[in-house]
Amino acid sequence: MIKLNNIVVKFGDFTALHDINVQVREGEFFTFLGPSGCGKTTTLRTITGFIEPASGTVVVKDRDITHVRIEDRNIGIVFQSYALFPTMTVYDNIAFGLKIKKLKKDEIDRKVREIARKVDLSDEQLAKAVSQLSGGQQQRVAIARALVTGPAIICMDEPLSNLDAKLRVQLRNELKKMQKDFGITTIYVTHDQEEALTLSDRIAVFNKGYIEQIGTPNEVYNFSKTEFVCNFIGDINRLSDEVVRKMIDAGAELSAENHNYIRLERMHVNEAPKPGQITLDGVVEMREYYGLYIKYYINVGSQTVKVIEKNDGVRIYEEGQSVSVLIDPRDVMAYPPSQEAEVGA
Amino acid sequence: MTERLDRRRFHADWIAQLIGIAFFVYLFFGFMLLPCLNTLTSIFREKNAAGEADPFAVIRFFLAGSMGSYVWNSLKLAVLLVITVNVVGISIVLLTEYFDIKGAKILRLGYMTTMIYSGVALVTGYMFLYAGDGMLTSLMKNAFPNFNASWFSGFSAVLFTMTFACTSNHMLFLRNAIRGIDYNTVEAARNMGANPFKVLWKVVLPTLIPTLFSLTVMTFITGLCAMSAPTLLGYDSINPEIVRLAGSSTADESFPQARAALLSIILAMFTIVLLTVLSAYERKGHYLSVSKTKAKLQKQKITNPVANVIAHIYAYILFIIYMTPVVMIIIFSFQNHSAIRGKKLDLNGWTLINYIGKQDYSYTNDRGKVKTVVGAISGVFSNEKTLGGIKLSFLMSALAAAFACVIVVVACNYIFNKKHKKSGVVLEYALLFPWLLPTILICYSYRVYFNSDAVWYVGNQNLYFKENVRLLIVMAYTVTKLPFSLRMIKASFYAIDEELQDAAKNLGASPLRTFLKVKLPIILPSVLAVFALNFNALFTEYDMSATFQSPEGTTYAMVIQGMTADATRGANMNALGRRCASTVFIMIVSGLILYLVYGVGSRDLGERLEIKNRRRKRWEKLRGKTNKEGKANTQA
Repeated sequence: MIKLNNIVVKFGDFTALHDINVQVREGEFFTFLGPSGCGKTTTLRTITGFIEPASGTVVVKDRDITHVRIEDRNIGIVFQSYALFPTMTVYDNIAFGLKIKKLKKDEIDRKVREIARKVDLSDEQLAKAVSQLSGGQQQRVAIARALVTGPAIICMDEPLSNLDAKLRVQLRNELKKMQKDFGITTIYVTHDQEEALTLSDRIAVFNKGYIEQIGTPNEVYNFSKTEFVCNFIGDINRLSDEVVRKMIDAGAELSAENHNYIRLERMHVNEAPKPGQITLDGVVEMREYYGLYIKYYINVGSQTVKVIEKNDGVRIYEEGQSVSVLIDPRDVMAYPPSQEAEVGA
Repeated sequence: MTERLDRRRFHADWIAQLIGIAFFVYLFFGFMLLPCLNTLTSIFREKNAAGEADPFAVIRFFLAGSMGSYVWNSLKLAVLLVITVNVVGISIVLLTEYFDIKGAKILRLGYMTTMIYSGVALVTGYMFLYAGDGMLTSLMKNAFPNFNASWFSGFSAVLFTMTFACTSNHMLFLRNAIRGIDYNTVEAARNMGANPFKVLWKVVLPTLIPTLFSLTVMTFITGLCAMSAPTLLGYDSINPEIVRLAGSSTADESFPQARAALLSIILAMFTIVLLTVLSAYERKGHYLSVSKTKAKLQKQKITNPVANVIAHIYAYILFIIYMTPVVMIIIFSFQNHSAIRGKKLDLNGWTLINYIGKQDYSYTNDRGKVKTVVGAISGVFSNEKTLGGIKLSFLMSALAAAFACVIVVVACNYIFNKKHKKSGVVLEYALLFPWLLPTILICYSYRVYFNSDAVWYVGNQNLYFKENVRLLIVMAYTVTKLPFSLRMIKASFYAIDEELQDAAKNLGASPLRTFLKVKLPIILPSVLAVFALNFNALFTEYDMSATFQSPEGTTYAMVIQGMTADATRGANMNALGRRCASTVFIMIVSGLILYLVYGVGSRDLGERLEIKNRRRKRWEKLRGKTNKEGKANTQA
């Protein structure tokens, strides 16, 4: 559906994107994830045509659109600020693109009301000024405006970053549902890994103008290709050399030369080891109570590891209590030391 | 980042840009730089008595003669004005915004009256009360026979009038600054044991210093460039002298034109130095509030009862000074000419004749014959001369205000385009250029430079000749309003989110359509506000048109000024009454404009829709009620 072939974008002497190659499938929810300044928005703006690449091609449905004008690309966009025209009513905002296409008045009206219904905007809201709507409603207007002209692709640039935490979660679900209902190919930009994991069919993780990994949420989380990806996505423990050596002594196939990581939820407190698993002795240093789960900081001698336990009411450990930490070496993600761990945001 | 354009669109864009650049080059060189340079060089082009070129003749004349006294007088006025205006300006702001004074709302309205009438209208208003035959002076003289009836003339009169006339900026800017103070800082100081005056001195005033500094510089420049008050009240400062010299000829005195040029250049130099100091200070940065959750300022009670009483007395004395001219002018604008002349309220003398209508006037002459002067008494809207002035001022001000706005909007659209970074800066400075020059210098330069048919770029037309002068005045109005318009409209361009332009482009809008449908509606309220404020200032403008001193360019303010002189026996009997009515008319126009700008114009689309909705509901309710009543009546 969308192919980015060897895209390079330069701003003066600065190279913002290095040889970017991405293929997005039809109907896919594809996310560009990364810290600020990593090149994800630049890539999005290259697809929409606001930026012309120094080299490389943008191909949509086998048509090279690298040099096609913005308005002729048939790609809708929802901006971070929503970019709703403040001097127009909700109706006029949605109708703007249709008026430019010189559609007949009754057709414009039909299309505007149809899309408004789909994104759950009432007739009364259509007559309002955008400033009279809530953040969530404004977002729906922005989506309706982007979709009403019938684009082949919709691009969203951090559309949830303006909202408070609760609304973000609520709208995230609505967004996903809308995308499924419309079946439209969606490119989504965010720096929020939770958003990326919950929404996406596939994710491209960006770092300093390069793509570190492209994969499903499960692939990038559990099988992070680079040290950057494993650090950027989710919380993680880097195991100290001493712990790694202990594990090697106990028969684990690890190398102390590598940087070894394990996710918090992959370790367990006071559980009996199965074959291949090992335990470390430690003391609970601190406990953070989150309700759904409890996070323990456990000193295992050479380092403090963080472990998450489901709050099932059975296992609650006090600070200062001696415990054992269960590790399965197969859960350890190892990276050669040449791969520098750089976590941006 | 390069954006690809169609070849055709590229050509259209290129041609439009070329026309734009040509226009701005023409405007800058033709109507800013060349006329002013001509004034500057004219100082050095004089000849001595032997007819030989003598570049320093005027300067020697300046150093030897009494010309320096005009500069000295202007400086004296400016320095003293800085003190008096700041004292009164800070007082009125503190009394209405900081201290808890009873009746603060009414006081504020009184202190704000200078915003709806200024210049000639205000000065003549003050003269109506305080001049030798003025109302209050006559009252005082009756009460105290030894009272000096001519106290209100010359320096003291100018200082008194301008002290109260020039506090509008304090009411606008200092008031905003004081309202922006985080009240938590005041509470913190009180909590640590500071009394209200200590808080004022140590916490509040230091945060106001940047605003006060700007106000001081602005007041100083106002004092230096004072025109209407010194002219009308008789004080020999720079500007009235420039105007006098500009109209004089070499037959009467030595090189008057070059002397006028020298004085205006001196004025310009002072202005440039002061503005440089101001902008250097502004660039140094301000005390910014670090507070993220500002608390609204609450009024401070003056706990000491004596201080409280004194503050109240002071507040109301100032209120009386501000309000008396306004009230008197309004009342007397509805009185007949004999009441106005006698400066005594005549309860049977109410009339609308000062506003509209004409009356004949009969009197018995020295030989005992009864003479009738037809139409000797006439209202503002019935007197041809007055109506002519109003029409001319209205037209010229509206045109110039609109030109300035259009020029600045086009320029800002260019400046804010990322592609024109460097040329945008050049354009911005070119438009700010008139800010450095006193308006009198610009007008004087126009008057001299275009009073010739040798200026090729205006088609070899003498623009000072007869009706042409109106075009010249419109140009002068436009050029002098460019810097203010630029500062205000540029600020509104910052409100246009770049993503809005991207969104419009993405939806297929051309640059022109994006400008007309997306950008313009956003900046339009500001542009209209700037238009209204420009119009407001120009409609009653006196300084510039007085510099042009042309019968074809007699503006409303000049007509009003004339009304002091021609109230002689038999002819033009109610000139003073018409002057009062004129001032009231100006107050209404200005008040209406300020209401439109700050009241209606500041509403966004949401607020407008809400008001519309409320009105519709009210209307429906009313209609429902009348329908019901109608039905009830028919049933009955």
